[in-house]
Amino acid sequence: MSTAGMRRGGTALVVLGLLGLIALYWMAFFWVSTEVNQGVVQRIFYVHVPAAWTSFLAIGFAALASGMYLWLRDDRLDRAALCAIEGGLVFATLVLTTGPLWGKIAWGTYWTWEPRLTLTLLLWFIFVGYFMVRNSTEDPEKGKRFAAVVAIVGAMDIPFIHLSVIWFRSLHPEPVVAKPDGPTLPGDMLATLLFGVLVFSLLFFGLFLFRYAVEGLRAEADLRARSVA
Amino acid sequence: MKNSTIRAVALSLAALAIMAVRGVAQESAAMPQASALAEQNLRPYWHVFAAYALVIVLIGGWAVSIARRLRAIEDRLAD
Repeated sequence: MSTAGMRRGGTALVVLGLLGLIALYWMAFFWVSTEVNQGVVQRIFYVHVPAAWTSFLAIGFAALASGMYLWLRDDRLDRAALCAIEGGLVFATLVLTTGPLWGKIAWGTYWTWEPRLTLTLLLWFIFVGYFMVRNSTEDPEKGKRFAAVVAIVGAMDIPFIHLSVIWFRSLHPEPVVAKPDGPTLPGDMLATLLFGVLVFSLLFFGLFLFRYAVEGLRAEADLRARSVA
Repeated sequence: MKNSTIRAVALSLAALAIMAVRGVAQESAAMPQASALAEQNLRPYWHVFAAYALVIVLIGGWAVSIARRLRAIEDRLAD
């Protein structure tokens, strides 16, 4: 896809995502019913979980692109991984800021070293570590390869985050959507959550395309600079 | 008769004044408790609003950062 095509696609997805975000806020504040036990604070769920899903999507996508980069050594795959990781860092930061706001009311504390929180913090450090490793070598190609390995290893954290609430004693509840028996959420809550997942995914992919266009143009500028020199 | 009526009215007004002063005093003593309760009840709302505001700030911040980098690289290519 050309840079102009990516920008057009990115614009379409971001506009759809922004319209969806407005609809999501309306649903979360005015439409969905209030959870009986936790009250109004449970509404954080409709941005917290979609943000978590999107950060998982980002690291999964980055791991896939990184694996293919290590195999094919195509710079476009490395750029795709880099852009996905940047988006993943944004959404993981959202998870780690909205979660404590919810936890303070629900659990009485902003932070506790329980398995899911700790593993999610580890994922955030993996996102940050990707950039650190990438820029830690004098040889850019070596940095790209090391960073690709970080992305692949980072994706292995996802199953642990998901299953940690089943394997260990945890303050987080057990899964209510992604479970073998099917979702146990009431219909309106499930609809709002799934809509949130869709909206966050649209925003991620829309902004990802713009970010990828930036990297494409940067590569082009570097190539021109080298050819002039 | 007239004096006793005046005295009764004066006593009633005094009693009402005392009750009013006591009522105000009790209300002002109870006020910090009431405001603490209100604060406690409103706190979840503030956390929800903060969480939803963070979504706008972080995703908006990423979008702005991308737009600035895009403009910078386009300027570099134009030069």
